[in-house]
Amino acid sequence: MSDIKTPVKNAIEVRDLNFYYGKFQGLRNVTMNIAERKVTAFIGPSGCGKSTLLRTLNRMYSLYPGQRAEGEINFYGQNILDPKQDLNLLRARIGMVFQKPTPFPMTIYDNIAFGVRLYENLSSSEMDDRVEWALTKAALWNEVKDKLGQNGLSLSGGQQQRLCIARSVAVKPSVLLLDEPTSALDPISTGKVEELVHELKTDYTIAIVTHNMQQAARCSDYTAYMYLGELIEFGETEQIFFKPNKTATEDYITGRFG
Amino acid sequence: MKMNDTLYRKRRLTSLVGLTFSMSAMAVGLAVLIWILFVLFSNGLAALDGHLLTSDTPAPGTEGGGLRNAIVGSLMIVGLTVLVSTPVGILAGVYLSEYGDRSKTAELTRFVTDIMLSAPSIVLGLFVYAIAVATVGKFSGYAGSLALSLIAVPVVMRTTENMLRLVPGSLREAAFALGAPRWKVSTFITLRAAKSGVMTGLLLAVARISGETAPLLFTALNNQFFSTNMGAPMANLPVVIFQFAMSPYDNWVRLAWAGALLITLTVLVLNILARVFFREKVGS
Amino acid sequence: MPDKHLSSQFDSDLNNISSHVMELGGLVESQIRQAVYALSQFSPEAADDVLVIENKVNTLEVEIDREIASVIGRRQPTARDLRLLMAMSKTTANLERVGDEAAKIARMVKSIIESAAPRSLPSSDLRTSAELASGLLRKALDAFARLDIPMAVSILREDNEIDKEFDGFVRKLITYMMEDPRTISASLDLLFVAKAIERIGDHSKNIAEFIIYIVKGEDVRHTPLADVESSMA
Repeated sequence: MSDIKTPVKNAIEVRDLNFYYGKFQGLRNVTMNIAERKVTAFIGPSGCGKSTLLRTLNRMYSLYPGQRAEGEINFYGQNILDPKQDLNLLRARIGMVFQKPTPFPMTIYDNIAFGVRLYENLSSSEMDDRVEWALTKAALWNEVKDKLGQNGLSLSGGQQQRLCIARSVAVKPSVLLLDEPTSALDPISTGKVEELVHELKTDYTIAIVTHNMQQAARCSDYTAYMYLGELIEFGETEQIFFKPNKTATEDYITGRFG
Repeated sequence: MKMNDTLYRKRRLTSLVGLTFSMSAMAVGLAVLIWILFVLFSNGLAALDGHLLTSDTPAPGTEGGGLRNAIVGSLMIVGLTVLVSTPVGILAGVYLSEYGDRSKTAELTRFVTDIMLSAPSIVLGLFVYAIAVATVGKFSGYAGSLALSLIAVPVVMRTTENMLRLVPGSLREAAFALGAPRWKVSTFITLRAAKSGVMTGLLLAVARISGETAPLLFTALNNQFFSTNMGAPMANLPVVIFQFAMSPYDNWVRLAWAGALLITLTVLVLNILARVFFREKVGS
Repeated sequence: MPDKHLSSQFDSDLNNISSHVMELGGLVESQIRQAVYALSQFSPEAADDVLVIENKVNTLEVEIDREIASVIGRRQPTARDLRLLMAMSKTTANLERVGDEAAKIARMVKSIIESAAPRSLPSSDLRTSAELASGLLRKALDAFARLDIPMAVSILREDNEIDKEFDGFVRKLITYMMEDPRTISASLDLLFVAKAIERIGDHSKNIAEFIIYIVKGEDVRHTPLADVESSMA
């Protein structure tokens, strides 16, 4: 149930979403909004459906037969669950960063350029600018500007993840989906990525899945608490962490598990 | 920590016995390998002189001679085979791993490939004889390449597929998440990531076909003279060795040893290269 | 007070702090009792007792705040736990000031005794309101232990009564001073005592407001009573 009081434009509106892995139902009647240019966090115990929900937003599940979604997901008014939806185009507008950093087996420069080259025809100087811009946005430019020709895999874990973020940002999507982006990183890299999220939200709508509640509390404007495939509570982060409406939510965030 | 002494000693004894057996087995294997190499080297080295690369195979009864025509012939036949089987094998491997996966077509293809991998090469040779030699009326280098391709393609296909499968799904997903179409993901990302593994597969396929004799017997046959015409019978190392090894002429026998040494060295080098490549992949 | 966390250490930390706060409340209550007795019997010994307990109160206040800071730093508490800790920290401060007020009363009583003022001072009125204030504090501590909202609201109401009593007493004292200017010095001492009693009532009101904060998440510190009553209904 949406508890948003302030009138904010929604980038994505999820309505009565049900999701199935074969016969198993992963999401039940989820209805919520992702506000434009804000950070929305999904929290909940393992298996609650938060990653499942994130992966419906860019139709990533369509890669795997046997996984299907029913309901509506409106991306600026367009229902992306429509079978006629062009998936590649959709994913160019809704980007995703994964838990494990996955640099492509090419130079740092090409890593960034790859996504851009898919849909845009830039001259070589324009591409240089775009690569620099994306790496700057990801707070990585100063660290790699002298080694753009090196393989992406030569970077440290935290740098690789920021490279993946730069890669997603380079194609200028409207929405960025982050699936536990800092789970595999040390605290300092985590801090850098969180700082990045804070800066990126002025231009991008961000949805982040995290199993670290304090991260959700630090980084997000809105928080959704999920349990066993259902959306239990959704609201402004300050309210959720100061005085949640549902006891179940409060039990989870204060560490009271039955 | 209190240790039960007898138990400990028994375990150590068992371990020792096991180790002894495995090391002896390894020693035996190693000894045989070294023996083979030693025999090859001692017999073949004598024939490694300047004429090897400059003279052609000698006529029966003539003195001296070299292996120039056989070496060139082998290079050309194997070269054409590689040219043909590389794209076919790699693309088929890409299909099996990235597109077909569980489909009926893919399962069938894998089944047939597995059969061909273990098919006796002489059978493949006879098959190509029937369709490409008997029909045309003459032996040819082309037929030889065809036969070798029938051996190489399944190898390349299977290794490519296996190497591609080793690429983590998360890498593919990352590419899809940027809006890349499947064919770009398969080639620019997945294949590239599996690059060294696929190269290794190629090198091993080449090593395998370098020494195949039976197929060439029925297809390229042999040629006493130097020729670069692949439409006609062509000299090649394996068949030359076959012909010369059991002959009564000394120089022929020497040349056979030299040829065997050459092939062995080639296979050795290719294997070493394959290892180096693979270590690069694992190292990154 | 709180129900069980996954971490039993967290539970025991919170319970520890709660019991220390209750202990502080008990100490302060005994200070008030002694101060009231000193006032009604003009007993210097009772007045001294109040001042002795002062040290224990100060030590305990410092200890409680240290424990609270430690839990906040280690546990990053949220929601109810966070509100509880914030409230306990402020309640501790309020209780310590109640102790200060009791000590002030004790000092004033001693000063009155030394000035050998006439026993005709209207100090008995003060005794009544002192007992009211002391009872109110007891109620507030009870309600805090049980997080009892209706009781908290009634405490807010009762403090208003204490405030009215204070105003009445001030008027009486002014009349008394105007009648006999020699009594002005002692009367002023009594005025300070009355003020201290009124402040004790205020601190009990604050504690009651924190109870509402913990349970409802609403900060009613500057909300008029009528609004509070209607929103708690």
